[in-house]
Amino acid sequence: MSDVYLPASLDEVHAIRKRAPDAVILGGGTDLLVRMRATGKKPSVLIGLELIAELSRITLQDGFIRIGPMVTHQALLDSPVIRQHLPLVHKAAQVLGSPPIRHMGTIGGNICTASPAGDILPALYVLDAGLEISSPAGKRIVPIQEFITGPGKTILSNTEILSGVRVKVPDPRYQGYYLKVGQRKSLAISIISMAALLMVSPDKKILSARFAWGSVGPIVMRFPDIESSLAGRTFGPDLLLEVGRRTSERIQPIRDIRASASYRKMVAEGLPLKILEECSEKLPSTKKNHE
Amino acid sequence: MKNGALPVAIGSDLTRADGYAKVTGRERYAADEYPPGFVYAGVVRSPHPHARILSVDTADARACPGVIAVLTSKDITGTNRVGVPDMDQPVLGDTRVRFIGDPVVLVLAETKEDLTPALAGVRVAYEPLPAVFDPESALREGASVLHENRSEGNLLFSGVIAKGDTKSGFSACTVVREGVFTLQRQEHAYLETEAGAARVDENGVLEMTVSTQSPFRDAREIAMALGLPDEKVRVIAPYLGGGFGGKDGITVQGLLGLGALHSGGRPVKIWNTREESFISSTKRHPGKVSMKLGCLQDGTLHALECRVVFDTGAYAGMGAPIAVYAMGHASGVYRIPHTRVEGLNVYTNNPISGAFRGFGIPQVIAALEQVVDMLAESIGMDPLEFRLKNAVREGDETGLGVRMTYSTGIIACIEQVRNHPLWTGRDAWIQEAPVYKRRGVGIATGVLGIGYGPVIPDIARAKLELLADGRFRIYAGVADMGQGNNPTTIHIAGDILCQGPDRFELVQPDTFRCLNSSSSSASRTTYTYGNALILAAGILKERILDVVIQQHPEFNRENLTLVSGSILHTPDGKVVALSTIAETLQGPDRIATATWTAPVNQQPLPVTPEVKTWGFPHLAYTFTTHLARVEIDELTGAVSIDAYLSCTDAGRILNPPVYEQQIQGGIIQGMGYALWEDFQVREGAVMTKNLSTYILPTSMDVPDIQSVPVETYEKSGPFGMKGVGEIGIIATIPCISNAVTMAIGQRIFETPLIPERVLLALRRAS
Amino acid sequence: MKIRCVINGKPVDLEAASDRRVIDLLRENLGLCGTKEACGSGECGACTILVDGVSRLSCLMVAAQIEGKEIVTIEGFSSDHLHPIQEAFITKGAIQCGFCTPGMVLATADLLKRNPAPNRNEIRKALSGNICRCTGYQKIVDAVESVKGNQEYDHE
Repeated sequence: MSDVYLPASLDEVHAIRKRAPDAVILGGGTDLLVRMRATGKKPSVLIGLELIAELSRITLQDGFIRIGPMVTHQALLDSPVIRQHLPLVHKAAQVLGSPPIRHMGTIGGNICTASPAGDILPALYVLDAGLEISSPAGKRIVPIQEFITGPGKTILSNTEILSGVRVKVPDPRYQGYYLKVGQRKSLAISIISMAALLMVSPDKKILSARFAWGSVGPIVMRFPDIESSLAGRTFGPDLLLEVGRRTSERIQPIRDIRASASYRKMVAEGLPLKILEECSEKLPSTKKNHE
Repeated sequence: MKNGALPVAIGSDLTRADGYAKVTGRERYAADEYPPGFVYAGVVRSPHPHARILSVDTADARACPGVIAVLTSKDITGTNRVGVPDMDQPVLGDTRVRFIGDPVVLVLAETKEDLTPALAGVRVAYEPLPAVFDPESALREGASVLHENRSEGNLLFSGVIAKGDTKSGFSACTVVREGVFTLQRQEHAYLETEAGAARVDENGVLEMTVSTQSPFRDAREIAMALGLPDEKVRVIAPYLGGGFGGKDGITVQGLLGLGALHSGGRPVKIWNTREESFISSTKRHPGKVSMKLGCLQDGTLHALECRVVFDTGAYAGMGAPIAVYAMGHASGVYRIPHTRVEGLNVYTNNPISGAFRGFGIPQVIAALEQVVDMLAESIGMDPLEFRLKNAVREGDETGLGVRMTYSTGIIACIEQVRNHPLWTGRDAWIQEAPVYKRRGVGIATGVLGIGYGPVIPDIARAKLELLADGRFRIYAGVADMGQGNNPTTIHIAGDILCQGPDRFELVQPDTFRCLNSSSSSASRTTYTYGNALILAAGILKERILDVVIQQHPEFNRENLTLVSGSILHTPDGKVVALSTIAETLQGPDRIATATWTAPVNQQPLPVTPEVKTWGFPHLAYTFTTHLARVEIDELTGAVSIDAYLSCTDAGRILNPPVYEQQIQGGIIQGMGYALWEDFQVREGAVMTKNLSTYILPTSMDVPDIQSVPVETYEKSGPFGMKGVGEIGIIATIPCISNAVTMAIGQRIFETPLIPERVLLALRRAS
Repeated sequence: MKIRCVINGKPVDLEAASDRRVIDLLRENLGLCGTKEACGSGECGACTILVDGVSRLSCLMVAAQIEGKEIVTIEGFSSDHLHPIQEAFITKGAIQCGFCTPGMVLATADLLKRNPAPNRNEIRKALSGNICRCTGYQKIVDAVESVKGNQEYDHE
């Protein structure tokens, strides 16, 4: 049996954890409770954060958006701030889970569960999100790339809590794309996912490109060398195919119940081309002009 | 809006009478039974695919708090065997266990929480035995044998159906094509898992409410297994939260009964978690179908050879009939002079295979209808014209020699597809494929014989009562797993007795109150019970009119008509209330019963008695032709079904929405079978443990189904209908696969057509 | 712990373990069996309830989380007459075995609150967290589509 507490403030959270250092944080429950059922392991104490109002806010200030960890995926979808300034996060939240799961699951939960398949993560990686960590000692900010260290592993100690997600509003010239490949169109764990942030000049030259990949390694992956090599190159199917092929060569995905390693590598090769399906300037609809 | 007072004729739309209770959450399923004072039952299951049980130590478990009893096979005084038709499955393992999940010990406890440490406290000592995990290994010389008393080793069943001479047949063919198709396990995944509650009452009667498709047969099996007299077992079957064949037989009934016999009179409840349901319940038979087909120069089919090898898992269950149904449909809808079909069903130490909508037929049609496409392509004929040329008409003999003497609408089904814009416009649609997408259009035909076949009695017994208030009570004989056969009884009786739907009440099947009408399966539920009910309603109607005439000798019988609640004498408008008639009739006279036995195919065909017994040939067949428009994502291999058409002959349509419900539901379940659902087992262990990894289609994954009903008149069916419950799932795999093959230029011989397989095939093709 | 909340319009005061699953609390403590369990892991939607008007999965909620909340289950979704959503499900043939139906109805209620006139794709997306094994979804979509514009809408 677990004792569940729903404290009203972060101070109370820290106090509970002082007396129960093994306490586990409960966000929306859509990952934790499922894991508890699967493993049969029940932590002796659960601390639910949903009553702490400050953890559910979305604010925009000085060019930074701060998202509380308990903001649900539905709240992300409903937020005009996110829709306008972080459309990539909006797109990622659209394909996560299912409607009721989006009503319950939180961005903080998605981050701290730290699954390589976490749907919000690739978006946060290309946005270079900073994660605010609170403890009785104070706050610090850590880049997301340093926060998650492996599948299911973060740097959080048992006195620390994720208290905010900070994202610098990207240059409005960036266009964001989120691609998720799952076994079906809803209620799907991603087999491979990709977030891209592209800044393309009017004459179709890459000014800046970032790609983050989910479910292809122990953590979300970016390849800065591939990204920087794209600067000045012409945006189009050839370039996107090159990104895919070079990425495919670098990744070492696992085989699991959902997909083989080779499938993930195969799909990685062509996945960036899907950006063109969304682009306003589409290629003409004759087939076979891509290979 | 509830059902009103006006009678609704057969053939018109009638909203189902079960809707109100289900939509308000009031309907009580077996899983909703929490009888006062009940105890929970949990099961200790084998972790080994094959092992001898050396000893069972229950002392620690019995000492756990809240534990009422810990039971083993030693506590079973009957045969401790269930299974239909082969009774080889223990309720609790006695000498050995044969699959991972085979039950060994039953624990009764006060709460679910109390069960957990108690189950963990049971110590079973096993001696693992070598295990076999596929039919080929299981049939090898020296393979470990699951059922030591069987002279045939691991071969549960083998049989042949043949006609003509395939050797000369094939040599006369201009073109011959063949393929070996591998079909996966499919899980029923009904939303209500196996559940029930049981208690032994003051009279020593074991009464059980359980989610089952076969309450009457269950009662006999339970009695034999647990050593009880037949008359001391009562089974009640409420509306099921889905069945699809997975509850056609014993699931938790033996365990519930055993528990109730040892719970000190307290009710016992079992409700399987999804994970436990996955491990313990039956699956669709996986297997390989080898199909070889040849035709003459002009496209006339001339020879067919087929070999079906199924994996029946650890216990026989319905393995033999399923193999025979598969064999018996191997020539599909076609005339073919020379055929040879061999079927084998083999024991393995895998989860048990059992009845699942279609009963072996989807597997064999999956192969046939793909080889038909291959052959049509080789002979240079349009796949639809090829099928039209070779399909049977009434009076023809199928490839297996069955003469089609009953309604045979397949030609009309194919013609409906031929005329449909989805077919006529296919080339244009395919050309318009967007970048990175490939499109294809495929068709397939399907056929399914309804009922149990020529030997197993296919009987229903209707019971209808005129109540004191002038309404009627129908005692349903067949369980309703969602197909609406029990609400349909109201439609049927309402039509005959001219009563509005609100004049009826229903008793769900109860072995003490209703009459044995066999199982909810084989597309025979309304076909048989409906016919029996027509008879019973007719009998009751005459009896009612008799009484009216007795009471009003001045009336002319010809001038009497029933209306809702009364009998009307038309010349003068005089009305006699049915409640008045009910007063006159004494108890038993207010009840009419009738028995209807399905006609069987008497055609003498040269098959073994075993093949005949297990269900060949059938008599009344349902037919279909499907069309699928698919779009393949070249970058991921994902298959999207853009449009789907069904043209189906299920005889006369009694209630159009109910017909559509079965067509739509069967097809979507068939799409799942074709594209997403892969129940993975490795070395006997279930790998897809829950709904997160066993992928069911969501509402975003499937399109609307376009349905063109092809109505024929089936003379043996009530009002001319045939059962429509299964035909929807028969042709989906080949239909979709034929479309995918056109789109990517390569055929995939394994299902499901998951994106990885499609992507690999795409790469091979280019 | 003591839980105080409002369920189907009525104040409820009960004693339960803080980690007791809400679905168990509803079905076993309160006898509200209309909310169904079909997977226990958030994959099927059969356990859908409304919590302060929002659809959530009761198999993934614990008792402590409903303190002070307003819960609506299928039993409380209509009073002496059916809600238009329920009427539509019946008349459009959207119910076969019925086990998914309570969850579907409440998911529909949540949808129509956010989007009173959804098209068929939007309906399919909104119901994509609710699995149906019987209907193939089509008649459920027909039912929901027929409700829009027919809103005497409140679920108090």
